[in-house]
Amino acid sequence: MALIAIENLVFAYGPKMPVILDGLSLSIEAGERVAILGGNGSGKTTLAHWIAGWLPRAAMNATSGAVLANGKAWPAWTALERAEAVQFVGQIPMQQLSGFAFTVYDELVFGPGNLGLEPDEIRKRADWALDICNLRHLVDRDPFTLSGGEQQRLSIAAALVMHPKALVLDEPTGNFDPESRDNLLDQINRLPSDLTIILCDMALKPALAIAKRFVLLDGGRIVADGGAQEILSHPRTSAIFGMPAVMEAALLLQQAGHWPAGEDLPLTFGRAQEQFGRITHVAG
Amino acid sequence: MLQVEDVSFHYPGGVNVLSGISFSAGAGEVLALVGRNGAGKSTLLRLLNGLRKPTRGAISIDGRNTAETPVHLISHSIGTVFQSPEQQVFNATVRDEVMFGPKNLPLTAQERDTRVAAVLARTRLTDQAGQHPLDLDQAQRRFVALASVLATQPPALLLDEPQRGLDAQSRSLLEGIILEEKAAGRCIVIVCHDMEFVARLATRVIALADGALSADTTPADFFSNSRLTSEASVEAPDILRLSLALGLSPCLTPADFAGAWLNHHHLNASQG
Amino acid sequence: MIGQGNPHTGKTLLFVPGNSFIHRINPLTKLVGLLWLAATTFMLPPMGMAVVFIAAFAFGVIAGAGAVFVRRLVLTVTPFAIALFVIHGLLIKRPDMIDYGLISLSPGGLTYMAHILVRVAALLTASMLFVTTTHPAILLKSLDSHGISPGIAYLISSPLLLIEPFSARARAIRDAQQARGLDLNGSWKARIKAFPALLIPLVTLALSDLDQRASVLDGRAFRARPFRVVLDAPVDQPYERWLRRLLLLALPVQIGLLLWL
Repeated sequence: MALIAIENLVFAYGPKMPVILDGLSLSIEAGERVAILGGNGSGKTTLAHWIAGWLPRAAMNATSGAVLANGKAWPAWTALERAEAVQFVGQIPMQQLSGFAFTVYDELVFGPGNLGLEPDEIRKRADWALDICNLRHLVDRDPFTLSGGEQQRLSIAAALVMHPKALVLDEPTGNFDPESRDNLLDQINRLPSDLTIILCDMALKPALAIAKRFVLLDGGRIVADGGAQEILSHPRTSAIFGMPAVMEAALLLQQAGHWPAGEDLPLTFGRAQEQFGRITHVAG
Repeated sequence: MLQVEDVSFHYPGGVNVLSGISFSAGAGEVLALVGRNGAGKSTLLRLLNGLRKPTRGAISIDGRNTAETPVHLISHSIGTVFQSPEQQVFNATVRDEVMFGPKNLPLTAQERDTRVAAVLARTRLTDQAGQHPLDLDQAQRRFVALASVLATQPPALLLDEPQRGLDAQSRSLLEGIILEEKAAGRCIVIVCHDMEFVARLATRVIALADGALSADTTPADFFSNSRLTSEASVEAPDILRLSLALGLSPCLTPADFAGAWLNHHHLNASQG
Repeated sequence: MIGQGNPHTGKTLLFVPGNSFIHRINPLTKLVGLLWLAATTFMLPPMGMAVVFIAAFAFGVIAGAGAVFVRRLVLTVTPFAIALFVIHGLLIKRPDMIDYGLISLSPGGLTYMAHILVRVAALLTASMLFVTTTHPAILLKSLDSHGISPGIAYLISSPLLLIEPFSARARAIRDAQQARGLDLNGSWKARIKAFPALLIPLVTLALSDLDQRASVLDGRAFRARPFRVVLDAPVDQPYERWLRRLLLLALPVQIGLLLWL
């Protein structure tokens, strides 16, 4: 049984609002690292909310279709069950803080406290999350005085202490400078390998750093689902993301007939350096 | 157009955040302001648009000394597009939001309408003109903020990470608009962490390191100099690094690289 | 972890770190004590209220919060005293008015003013004693560990934590609007016109935050169970529990006596 199964989901935020997800079907197994990629207005964040069980709620229901977690639709889950199944970390660090905790440590123990766990178990989880997310030196700090990068690490740690089966990350590095982004991606790659991670993003770099499976979302529909090469060579990819500059350079040479047949286009600087260094003969 | 003379700044009771910054820019120039977090870029941005006044030195924009001019009047000389359009949106429709700036200018109603319609078309928001700005997606909101500044036609533009959160299509639209404004003679300052964006658009790179000016040079010269990029804590774009690694002249774009590569190999083939 | 002696980084709290015996009293005891004292103040004669004020002030000094007390008293009581002086000392015509050249003063009015001021000072110093010696985090843990609804605790914590980010956002909005031509320093008419441009983004962003944060709290199972597990709850001695019961019983008795007599 898939951990998350989305079955023909059609969704709009209101009766007269535009359709955001248009008959979407997707299946995510336990332990997968999936990147759901899409441009502006593709429906990524809405899909992320559905996967994390933040939707449906109040008057916002699917027009048709459903999202099942372990075979059960989200409305059938209790809040306690959902909290231990999937956790969500969004784009704006400050919005992920509970507003209940005066220190980083209290922010971490807030969630497990709600679950009613034994104090020793709560402490054990908090200690583990502090180390995984490199927060020990910030343990007494007010969460609202941390930098954006630190707040985001704290949000991930606060999600991890719930011991979820899956973590949904919605453009977690969207507002960061490259150095902070790389630090956070590094941190994410150190998360337990059995944790299912679903990254929704519009940038290729974070996706390539974390995921093994790539799903391309366009206009509320899935248009591709496969490995990195498959996604990067999809016709819609360069329109949505642009392609890595080194790949674009190789593509220009390929289009001009000056790229060896059968040679993949490079995705990264390292690969490009190796390939271009090897290619000494240029046809034409 | 833009003159920054020996500018230093510190908050009351604090140490200098910026020390002895001097540079100037003329019409049609695109300056990229780069540096790591904490280098002073945000502070310099706020000095350029008059939100902060230098504690030493002077900044003048289009002949106006920022220390002697109220902020709202400096906005007629330099328009700022901040990172969070939600901090500015207060009108019920996109059209009204874009109209806000021109309403404070000595224009007739017809001139205002024409200007707003033109700017909405350029930013591809014509169809969204009657919608609430907060009902739009992130990219469209940024273009609303950009449109509201373009509509006032200031001689200079200050863009804070304008490319952040934009997909390739939106980024291409943004680049096109920046190049149009450059061609129209505007002086543009872009605060940016995306070095590929800088490489494609900037005519000069102004790099800050620890509150001081560490570089004021062309993108090719800046990215080719590992000391300068290291001081500013930025990494050169992949395509430039690749061109240097392969012994080519510094290339800022894939097209430049493809051309340089072909020239190099045809040259070698003809010699060999 | 927040301890009695660890400083808090927020600027909005009046808490003064320390390890005095007042700091060590359970926050719930202090809260009940404050409620009892506030009610009692209305039953006491002026001399009694003065004793409460002096005692609370003395305890505040012992707790290391003397400077905070003086600052708050001066800031709060001074304008109040001036207003009372003008109204009761000068304006309200009483039979005992004495002429002093251009002004007339009423000793009775001044006495009345003094009674009100000493009650205000007593209430203020008692409240100050509570907030300067009780960190909100400790109060929350105390409320949580005694089964008080987490929702009520959240109503206490979130304003205190969010006021600084909220203020920072208000400043960012002000800057952004000025930079697009909004005149905030012009005529009264210009300032009133500018008000929606400052208020609307603040409210819409606050509502957006609220919506997101509600989902975050729900995602972390907040209020999914009636009670939360609290780590490091403050010590609650048996005598303090008895003291609280006694004070809570005394309250309605005192109020009844006050109304009856």
